[in-house]
Amino acid sequence: MLKRLRSLFRVLASRRYFEAGMTEELHFHIEQYADDLMRSGIPREEARRRARMELGGLNTVKEECREARGLHPFDELGRELRHAVRLLRKSPGFTVTALLTLALCLGANLTIFAAIDSILLRPLPFPEASRLAFIYNTYPKAGVERDGSSLTNYYERRGHIPAFSSLSIYRYGTAIVGEPGSTMREQITQASPDFFTTLGRGPVRGRTFTDQETTFQTNHVVILTEAYWRQHFNADRNVIGRQIQVDGLPNTVIGVLPRGFRFLSSAASLYFPLASRPEDRTPLQRHSGGNVIQMIARLRPGATLAQAQSQIDAQNAALERDDPQAKMMADAGFRSLVLPLHGDQVAAIRPTLLLLQAGVLVLLLIGAVNLVNLLLIRASGRVKEMAVRQALGASRRYIVSEAVVETTLLTLAGGLLGLVVAAGGIRLLAALGADRLPLGAYIAFNAQLAWVAVAAAIVIGILLAAPIAWFNLRDQPGHALQSETRGGTSDRAVQRLRHSFIVAQIAFAFVLLAGAGELGLSLKRVMAVSPGFRADHLLTGQIALPWKSYPDGAARLAFTEKLNDEISRQPGALSIGEVNNVPFSGSSGKSAATVKGHVIRPGESPRGHYSYGVEGDYFRAMGFSLLAGRFLTDSDSRRAARVCVVDQDFARYYWPRENPLGHLLFQGSEAGPDAEAFTVVGVVGSVKQAGLTDDTAQGAIYYPYVFRTDDSIFVAIRTSLPPESIGFTLQKDVRQIDASLPVNDIRTMETRISDSLAVRRSPALLAFVFSGIALLLTAIGTYGVLSYAVTQRRREIGVRMALGARPEQIRGQFFSLALRLLAGGTILGVVGAWLTGHAMQTVLFHVSALNSATLAGAAAILILVCLVACLLPAHRAARISPLEALAER
Amino acid sequence: MAKTADLLPGTLDMLILKAVSLKPLHGYGVLLRIGQISGDALEIPQGSLYPALYRLEHQDLITAEWGQSENNRRAKYYKLTAAGRRRLREETAGWNRLASAIAAALNATSEEV
Repeated sequence: MLKRLRSLFRVLASRRYFEAGMTEELHFHIEQYADDLMRSGIPREEARRRARMELGGLNTVKEECREARGLHPFDELGRELRHAVRLLRKSPGFTVTALLTLALCLGANLTIFAAIDSILLRPLPFPEASRLAFIYNTYPKAGVERDGSSLTNYYERRGHIPAFSSLSIYRYGTAIVGEPGSTMREQITQASPDFFTTLGRGPVRGRTFTDQETTFQTNHVVILTEAYWRQHFNADRNVIGRQIQVDGLPNTVIGVLPRGFRFLSSAASLYFPLASRPEDRTPLQRHSGGNVIQMIARLRPGATLAQAQSQIDAQNAALERDDPQAKMMADAGFRSLVLPLHGDQVAAIRPTLLLLQAGVLVLLLIGAVNLVNLLLIRASGRVKEMAVRQALGASRRYIVSEAVVETTLLTLAGGLLGLVVAAGGIRLLAALGADRLPLGAYIAFNAQLAWVAVAAAIVIGILLAAPIAWFNLRDQPGHALQSETRGGTSDRAVQRLRHSFIVAQIAFAFVLLAGAGELGLSLKRVMAVSPGFRADHLLTGQIALPWKSYPDGAARLAFTEKLNDEISRQPGALSIGEVNNVPFSGSSGKSAATVKGHVIRPGESPRGHYSYGVEGDYFRAMGFSLLAGRFLTDSDSRRAARVCVVDQDFARYYWPRENPLGHLLFQGSEAGPDAEAFTVVGVVGSVKQAGLTDDTAQGAIYYPYVFRTDDSIFVAIRTSLPPESIGFTLQKDVRQIDASLPVNDIRTMETRISDSLAVRRSPALLAFVFSGIALLLTAIGTYGVLSYAVTQRRREIGVRMALGARPEQIRGQFFSLALRLLAGGTILGVVGAWLTGHAMQTVLFHVSALNSATLAGAAAILILVCLVACLLPAHRAARISPLEALAER
Repeated sequence: MAKTADLLPGTLDMLILKAVSLKPLHGYGVLLRIGQISGDALEIPQGSLYPALYRLEHQDLITAEWGQSENNRRAKYYKLTAAGRRRLREETAGWNRLASAIAAALNATSEEV
């Protein structure tokens, strides 16, 4: 079989050579035979004639030889292709419309499919990735849905959960790498030694971390990504053992990762051991992970997630038996959840992506309906030709294959153009922020996409050919030949089919429009939510203070005070402050707090609250509203005054009918002596921490920075100038204080908010683009069908006008046809929009499934577009001259 | 002229394989050789010769190469491939079995029944 295919390919590749060889061979035969005949005394001419006769018709022999070589189907295909190309070139208007329709519809589908494929479908790039699991702690009753894992969790579970062959933890971070003066901020990941074993991919050079390297002082080793090794070490083969400066300390390179290694969406270029002190791993720290450390594991072959879940549950229950916090954690609804790593990562984005794919599939349906209608109209014009050809012996198989060849040629060309559109579309996705989605960085234009395009084009080509072939074979040839030129009245079924296609098209376009409208409305409602502070004229940036130069609170406080002095001297700077986490930073951690005198009500669980350490003039810089008491000031930090400010949500929860000022609260989940309590000195308005759609009134507490001196701080500067303009000043001032400190993630607050909306804005934008295309296609479709109806009925209209019908009546007739189609489409569309609205509920914000404003808007736009589309044909119908129409053959 | 027999269906391929197994031949040569080795008893319809040659080449049983004919003209010479040789052996054996079976059947007398 393979050999025959190869022989066929050889011949196809050198077709001309094959033909010439065959001709030469046959002529040689004739001449040799003629020579032999002449030798036996037959005259030259007669001999040649006989030689030719014996061989049989030269063309027949050649044809049989070609067939013997397996060339026959190809010859036929070639003939049909040439025929199809000729036909398509004869009607350039149709061809261009069809190609553009296909290019847009297929391009949109391929673009979204590329995203779905790389985010949802393709397994993570690790061996047997389906066995990877993600584990996190949840305290739903305390308002903490997701809290990562703790070091204690890791050391207690490692090796004790039989369903896992390997379990590890990691933490994302940044580090300052390089010698002073030429430092760079790098994204890093700190991981436990078994991290790479869990993933199933580890260093190709050198080794992974050891257990000894997870304690401070011995943890100064680093594993490089291939890209970093190439860029900074010039791909040095002897890199193991060399040193790099990280946060001012020398670190030894112990390994290099394989090319293309990337953990989920992390952009880490360096991996360090996740070091900790023994006291961080004690049972008391079991629930203090924050949302910083994350846990992954690999299932043992044959083990299931359910087994792992029950083993973790059992271990948690056993550990709780002698845990003093157990009661409180149980009240908070504590559990550790085991989920598939891939599924968990993409869970949030899945509905949006599927919705978009459904949207573009509807778009493709609209486009396909248009094409079928156009093809049917064209076929109607060729009824007689078909009948003649069938009468002359064209087989049914041939009629079908001709239709398939023509439509497939069209869809293949459209598919190739669609790939071009998709290449642009994928760039557009990146511009819309797709690379910030989980796994979004994997979205790429690749060979697989091209194959999908070709396969889709062929399938669509065959599907499009079906109605055409049905139409061409529908009638007995004799019937079509006898019918008058108008071939119209017998086409009732075809006409009904065309009209129902238009109704379907209008309905689909309605659904798309309504869906886009709902997404847009939802986005508008999100944007109308106040963040709780003034986002304009506000610049923020992150600074990580390395432990080596800033080991304690005092050193960090000294740095921020110097920075505040420096910046407040700059022109345009109105106020400046620091906080360990600004709103819309992309991360949010909650901690426990205990209010003195608060009696836990039955069924009530301890709550996690956003907790901040603030410094300088943070509240004024952010534009918080002061509801009672006062803001925190510099001197609170300097004096280490045990005071705090709470937000309105917090105050309402604990003191609904009292003045919150003067009340005492404690950090952590237990009350202590009054000397350790913080006195509430002010109440500020609530702000959105995680995003504008964050509806939970979680409550926030602001402590003086000196009590929460995280090593990473955000600077917030309010300016009278455009905030972007002060970014450079901020970097310069920081470098003046400490040359090795870069400022990270410098963005205006407006940009932060806008970036946080990308996941809502981009789908809405895409949906609007899709519905715009859908409208255009519907307009083309309606126009095409109506103007064909006018052409088809010229004579009828001519007769009626000759009998006294007025142009208005004729025009009205076509308008009423358009209105009937519209009405049908809109009614179906409303039903579809209702279903879509329900399906979209998870991605909508405060918008109901059937929103009257979007429905009315969608209907209005569609009616307008369809009426405009039928204006021209109706007008033309009304201007038909009876004389001309009747005189036509 | 001796009486010629019509070819049984399927035997043309076998005869062509046999003809080119003796020595590489061009198409016309195949025709002559079959006539020669069959003592002019078999007549090949010339029109079916070339399709058969092309079919055998497509099946990789013979290969073709351009060469010089006896009168110094360019001609396409066919020769047997390894697969062709194998096929010829099988066909010959099969044919012999069939022929002797048929001969035995036709020579049967009433006593043997």
